[in-house]
Amino acid sequence: MATAPEVWGGTVAISRSGTWRRLRGVFGVSPVVAVLIALLLVFLVPPTVYLIQASVYTTKPNGAFDQFTLRYYADLFGNPRFLQNLINSCVYAVGSAAVALTLGTLQAWIVERTNTPLRQYVFLISIISLGIPSVLYTVSFLLLLGKAGPANQILMSLFDSTTPVLNVYSMWGMVVIEGIDFVPLTFLMLSAVFHSNDASFEEASMMSGAGIATTFRRITLRLATPGLMALVILIFVRAFESFETPALVGRPGRINILTTDIFESLRNAIPPNYGQAGAFSMVLMLIVVGLLIWYNRLSRSAEKYQTITGKGFRPRVMDLGKWRYLTAALLVLMFIVIIGLPVGIVIYASLLPYYEGITAKSFGLLTFANYIQVFESSSFKGAISNTLIMGAATASLVCPLTALCAWLAARRYRGAWILDQLATMPLIFPAIVMGVAFLYVFLHMPFGLYGSLLSVILASMVRYLPYGMRSSYAGVLQLHRELEEASAISGARQATTFIRIVLPLIAPSLITCWLFVFLLSVKAVAAQILLVGPKSQIIAVTLFDLWQNGQVTELAATGVTWMSLMTVVSTIFYVIARRYGLSVR
Amino acid sequence: MQPTQRTKTLLSSAFVCGVLLTAASAAQALTQDEIANLKGPDRQKILEEGAKKEGKVTFYSAMVADQLLRPLSIAFMKKYPYIKAEYWQANGSAIVQKVLAESSAKSIVGDVVESTDLSEPLKKAGVVVPFDSPELDSYPDVYKSPDHYWSAARLNYFSSAYNTNQIKAADAPKTYEDLLDPKWKGKLSWREGSGSGNQLFVTNILILMGDEKADAYFKKLAQQNVVNFTGSARALVNSVMAGEYPIAMNIFAHHPIISAQKGAPVASIPMEPVPSITGTAMFVKGAPNPYSAMLFIDYLQSKEGQSQLEKADYFPVHPDVEINKKLDPIVPRKAGLKENFITPKELDDYSAKSDAILKKYFKN
Repeated sequence: MATAPEVWGGTVAISRSGTWRRLRGVFGVSPVVAVLIALLLVFLVPPTVYLIQASVYTTKPNGAFDQFTLRYYADLFGNPRFLQNLINSCVYAVGSAAVALTLGTLQAWIVERTNTPLRQYVFLISIISLGIPSVLYTVSFLLLLGKAGPANQILMSLFDSTTPVLNVYSMWGMVVIEGIDFVPLTFLMLSAVFHSNDASFEEASMMSGAGIATTFRRITLRLATPGLMALVILIFVRAFESFETPALVGRPGRINILTTDIFESLRNAIPPNYGQAGAFSMVLMLIVVGLLIWYNRLSRSAEKYQTITGKGFRPRVMDLGKWRYLTAALLVLMFIVIIGLPVGIVIYASLLPYYEGITAKSFGLLTFANYIQVFESSSFKGAISNTLIMGAATASLVCPLTALCAWLAARRYRGAWILDQLATMPLIFPAIVMGVAFLYVFLHMPFGLYGSLLSVILASMVRYLPYGMRSSYAGVLQLHRELEEASAISGARQATTFIRIVLPLIAPSLITCWLFVFLLSVKAVAAQILLVGPKSQIIAVTLFDLWQNGQVTELAATGVTWMSLMTVVSTIFYVIARRYGLSVR
Repeated sequence: MQPTQRTKTLLSSAFVCGVLLTAASAAQALTQDEIANLKGPDRQKILEEGAKKEGKVTFYSAMVADQLLRPLSIAFMKKYPYIKAEYWQANGSAIVQKVLAESSAKSIVGDVVESTDLSEPLKKAGVVVPFDSPELDSYPDVYKSPDHYWSAARLNYFSSAYNTNQIKAADAPKTYEDLLDPKWKGKLSWREGSGSGNQLFVTNILILMGDEKADAYFKKLAQQNVVNFTGSARALVNSVMAGEYPIAMNIFAHHPIISAQKGAPVASIPMEPVPSITGTAMFVKGAPNPYSAMLFIDYLQSKEGQSQLEKADYFPVHPDVEINKKLDPIVPRKAGLKENFITPKELDDYSAKSDAILKKYFKN
């Protein structure tokens, strides 16, 4: 999903009408485009500039920049820990991408290309799982795989061991948890890749005597390879910049990666080491830029492998015969591991007075006390309303803005390609770096914005611009120009055409965009954790703090309540997406 | 020409207005420093009148929310129904970060802050103001900073904790030397990134043994692969209860006692000398609600406020409030144990040395 638009925009200007030509601004671009460019620059330039500045200036105790220095970079590269943590970052990203891709590919293939029973539910379940906050998901796996968790209890009795067999606070723990967390999104992205492959190649293979496994390996996978490779990089980037799992799993196990290093230099040093965090952020950003350039090359060459053509395109499913019960069993098993167990243990923990694993004794202690406490707490109500406002505001700002940008770019308005580039640019900021950059902006503002909900909304809006752009683009590309031309011929002005013709036509994709951005923005914690204050608490950060404070049972009750609320939202998302086609990629 | 009645009326009403304006501006003109050091018989009246206009106060503290912050703010609001008391719970260093960030961003939210390890950093950064409260008159001098920047709001004793399902009471380590036993390898944990966590543990040993012996001690302790836990002290004790870590070093000694009463498998083991430090309250410079903040500090230090701590199984510092009896086993003077009271300044003075040891032996 976090992808650059496929169309990078052309520079060819098509002058639409005489009036339009006259209105053209000083830079030779249409006024609407110029205004939008200016607007995007206002949101993008300050964070970038402050981030660079913070990495090359010492900071005075009052937060003002002091003297120019390259010390922070020198410290970084001179520190053996940096190299170690960079390697950790890579191992972690490769590992979790591998887990996510293996399970996601299997799921997508079963759902899209076979006649396995139950396959139609995977889509629904994957979307519903988008509503689970990442922190909650990570915590649920810590409860499952922790030393006192059921996995260890079973293994200890199996091996007759008195000490825990698994240590989840380790690299494999991080890899497995993050990998599984990514499966639903990987599935959603991959199902599109498999969907667009022509089944006739597979049929030909089967008719030539190749078995299902050989066909999958030699035809299906090969055809999907470019699309897959692009996804591999994307998932790698997402894992590389992920924060929740490394913070909750890696740090207690003394495994640091770059994102947690950034967090620590701001949180564990007094006064905060702004310079070090800045230098770390710059390095992380450059790596992500490199990866995204690679991604763009690959995803462009992926088009060569497209097998949807005008004629003979039959996306048909394969008959697995008796094997379809095995694949159905696999789907059920994956459902249990990906959703069933984590949600189950969170519900269980939410009913306990204190958490001590699953014991016979604890079943006698079950209580609703945590829920009562959560519902009575005013801070919980505040966090719920703040989160809903933040998600709704982010989505409501991002979707119309990117819809307009995407339309202007798709219609190749002069200069609109700049809009496309600018709206996609935030992708290079890993979430935690986005948080750092906006923190610097708010710390240096002449008026107090830091700690307000508005500050969180602004950062979140910039963060999700590329996601909205991607989603809007897909909607706009489906529109043929004829309708707009008809509108123009009937005498409507551009604005009228956009509002009365384009908007209603792309409304379904706007709604999916809105729900998608909403769900993503309320799920994550990394971009907001450095910005929220007591007045702007949001659910994901509350869950993070509750874990840090050891209030596991209260965390579980909060999480279950929030998840139930989000299931409603994601079900609406599913219904609309099913009806009008989904564009999450 | 005689002044007409109308002129007289005009003049007198102008005078009355002037007086009223002066009076109003006199009431408004109190600076934060004046409020913080207000004296005299009408102090309470002035504070309450100012607080009525503010209507709220925000308190940042490291004390456990359900156990203390919630009941404390409810009790405070009962006494001053026109002030809405809000709290934000975080550990000391997170509170320091927040206060520094808020003051450089010029959007201050927190009025009063309290934790074990924030007094020196906040004082040095110049983001707090000195204050005085009549409630502090009865306090012993060690519980007040000489320059009036902080007052002790609570006392804390530290001990180790162990999981009673995993370790028998007889086998549990009783002294700092016991912790070096190879059988505890991989079983020890402490809190990282908090002044009251591993930094306090190291400081206590440094004071106890001196630099050289302490260095040798930590060289050996490093062999035990101590887990650097990143959550709060309460979270660490919960992890011990859940069986994640069999032994936690330097946690708040009262937490295991509270949990054991609910049936959790955990116990405290005080080790001599038992380190103790105060949680200190401070008044944030530029606090948006200075009158309410001052009333809140008064309340926190008062006998009434301190008895809220006693009820929540914290250690009150008010001389007239007794510590809850069930905590006697971990109160050194009652249990006959040696105590090492470490002042905020001492903890800060030792921070360079303790950080060096932690960096040398306990960072990956």
